[in-house]
Amino acid sequence: MKWGMVIDLQKCTGCGECAAACKLENNVAIVEPRESEMGRTMLWMDMLTIYEGEYPRLRVRQIPRPCMHCDHPPCTKVCPVRATYMNEEGIVAQIYPQCIGCRYCMAACPYTVKSFNWYKPSFPPGMDRATNPDVSVRPVGVVEKCTFCIHRLQMAKEQAKFEARDLREGDFQPACADSCPTGAIVFGDLENRDHQVNHLAHSPRAEKLLEDLGTEPKVIYLKEVD
Amino acid sequence: MNKKTIEALQVLSISLIWVLFTGIAVWIVSLLRESLRLHDAPDASVGISIIAIPVFFTLASILTYVFIGLRKGRKEESEP
Amino acid sequence: MEHASARPHPDAALLNPIENPGRTYYYIVVGLLVIILYTGFVYFRQLWYGLGVTGMAQPVTWGFYIINFVFFIGISHAGTLISAILRLSKAEWRRPITRMAEVITAIVLAIGGLHPIIDLGRPDRISHLFFNGRLQSPLLWDVASITAYFTASTIYLYIPLIPDIAILRDRGVKPRWLYEFLSWGWQGTERQHKVLDRAMNILMVMVIPIAVSVHTIISYIFAMTVQPGWHSTIFGPYFVVGAIFSGIAAILVLMIVFRKVFHLEGYLKHIHFNYLSILLLIMSLIWFYFTFSEYLTGFYGHEPNEMRVFWYKFAGDFAPYFWAMIVCNFALPVAILCNSKTRTIPGILIASISVIIGMWMERLIIVVPSLANPRLPYPTGIYIPSHTEWMLFLGGISVFILGYMIFARFFPVISIWEIEEGRHESAKIVAERITSYMPDPEPSATGE
Ligand code: SF4
Ligand code: SF4
Repeated sequence: MKWGMVIDLQKCTGCGECAAACKLENNVAIVEPRESEMGRTMLWMDMLTIYEGEYPRLRVRQIPRPCMHCDHPPCTKVCPVRATYMNEEGIVAQIYPQCIGCRYCMAACPYTVKSFNWYKPSFPPGMDRATNPDVSVRPVGVVEKCTFCIHRLQMAKEQAKFEARDLREGDFQPACADSCPTGAIVFGDLENRDHQVNHLAHSPRAEKLLEDLGTEPKVIYLKEVD
Repeated sequence: MNKKTIEALQVLSISLIWVLFTGIAVWIVSLLRESLRLHDAPDASVGISIIAIPVFFTLASILTYVFIGLRKGRKEESEP
Repeated sequence: MEHASARPHPDAALLNPIENPGRTYYYIVVGLLVIILYTGFVYFRQLWYGLGVTGMAQPVTWGFYIINFVFFIGISHAGTLISAILRLSKAEWRRPITRMAEVITAIVLAIGGLHPIIDLGRPDRISHLFFNGRLQSPLLWDVASITAYFTASTIYLYIPLIPDIAILRDRGVKPRWLYEFLSWGWQGTERQHKVLDRAMNILMVMVIPIAVSVHTIISYIFAMTVQPGWHSTIFGPYFVVGAIFSGIAAILVLMIVFRKVFHLEGYLKHIHFNYLSILLLIMSLIWFYFTFSEYLTGFYGHEPNEMRVFWYKFAGDFAPYFWAMIVCNFALPVAILCNSKTRTIPGILIASISVIIGMWMERLIIVVPSLANPRLPYPTGIYIPSHTEWMLFLGGISVFILGYMIFARFFPVISIWEIEEGRHESAKIVAERITSYMPDPEPSATGE
């Protein structure tokens, strides 16, 4: 089993719904504007601004960027305490109570996807009581990033066990895939032939970010054709 | 402070150094076992342990050698 | 042990700072303590609120602490390494220098080694390193090699100190128990000398590879990632050269300060400065060579991500620092030290200070630009260190000065027994050694 994600840029409108859904789902802190200006915004799912072509045919577009969940993750190799590791199902996970906050993994990630809790996570008044109970709020001084909503996987597995059946494709979907209004984000098992992602990953439009680094991302983009 | 206490303290400090270095060695070995268990880069780990552990023990031995050597080398009359 | 303490000693100038420290000493100590206390407060604030009080952010997630870590450990290289090389090569002029150099190592290493802990987001979880550490991470290699280097260089400082401690003990300097305890019953018998010599010989040989490995491994922290500007095979030797370079500059500055303050003109003569500054000059050239080949390969390969970091340094936000580094590390010292007219003590002082500043900038230029230019198009701000980071830097320097002052208060900064030994024996030994280099006389000449 190898969880992966396919993002169809043809369908994606760059609305940013996935980024917002991710923030709410995972209790990602909302930092103060002053902090945000310094570059301490925390986003597990970020919107990358990509410039294509040159003026006057310049095209600017926004593409969603989660953690790539690399199959050869440069971030896990450098962690001195195994606070980040790849589990058997291919998800690169963080163990918050284990992390000592050295930020080596942040420096080593070629996609720069990790966020650090520079202060105790803060939420606007009122919102702190609306946090998702299924996800722990991180303490100060640790690194966090997209986990492919691993808590949902946990719950889906328990549900399936309770109903005495195997996990079905639709059972486990991360918040971003769930929320996407155009269905541009598809999630599933890359090694399972019945799953949609398996087919899409082999589409001629498929490409990965910074493929030449050999990190083998499990997030696959489908190029636009126009 | 009298001579006896000082001597006792000296022996104590040397033994503490051994305790410290043995502690380091034990630590490295335990990390090594961990890395073998988790299958992450045991080769690097083995390499480091092979170099690091003897280095620490050589250092401790040199100190002990000097300590004992200096005691043995004292002039006759100061021997009790 | 019954010697009266008033006996005039041939090296009274070296004992003076220990026997009569004077009042200014305490003023400076109090001044430093105030700075250190304030630094402690600032650090406590960081512990309380989190690393947010620094200027670090995304993507520049490593800042002053890591820069200073590399910088301090670099300075520490001079000491033990230079002293071991000079001893091994039997350079007679080493005698007044070795001790000073070794003390730098021991103190600076302790300070430098603390920096990664200051940098941690969760220093309270440091025990995880011991129970769940993974030897796979270069950070753990560092922990191991710095510990080894620290213990080795402390022992290497301590063992040649024993006879001097015994001198102080015999002169009845207070606190007596301290010297009694540390002197390990040294009486200067032949057998004791032999033991000491043998131990030092082993240590000298051991300390050199350990020292080289330490900075190589520090460079691996950067080189083991795949980030542009870091992922380079030259980094190991480049860091080692830079470390020795900055270390020699630090020794020179300290020697000049001590010569002035303790009136050691009789011990630290112009020739010592001359030799060491020529070494500094050579290191400057080697450093430039390494810098040149590091950037030329990057430039020629023209890999886009590499080039972004390259231009960021050469013409972008970091250009002022980059060119200042070239001036401080290369242009200025070479200009001053090449000319024997300007290779005077003030000239050497200027060159050394410029090298220390330049090497600090080099560490800055290595750490920040690579992080500030991520591969994917993110908005990036500029890294501005906060008050906290500056204070901790200043505090680190104060701890170094204080540590050195405390050492100089209790122990001689120039090895008395080695100087004495030099006075009695070295002329003879050197003369013998030189005769042994000479070609043997022709057999016909002796056969007559
Ligand atoms: S994208 Fe970065 S954080 Fe995610 S697995 Fe790859 S290296 Fe690690
Ligand atoms: S910041 Fe945490 S997760 Fe990242 S390398 Fe350090 S200990 Fe590991």
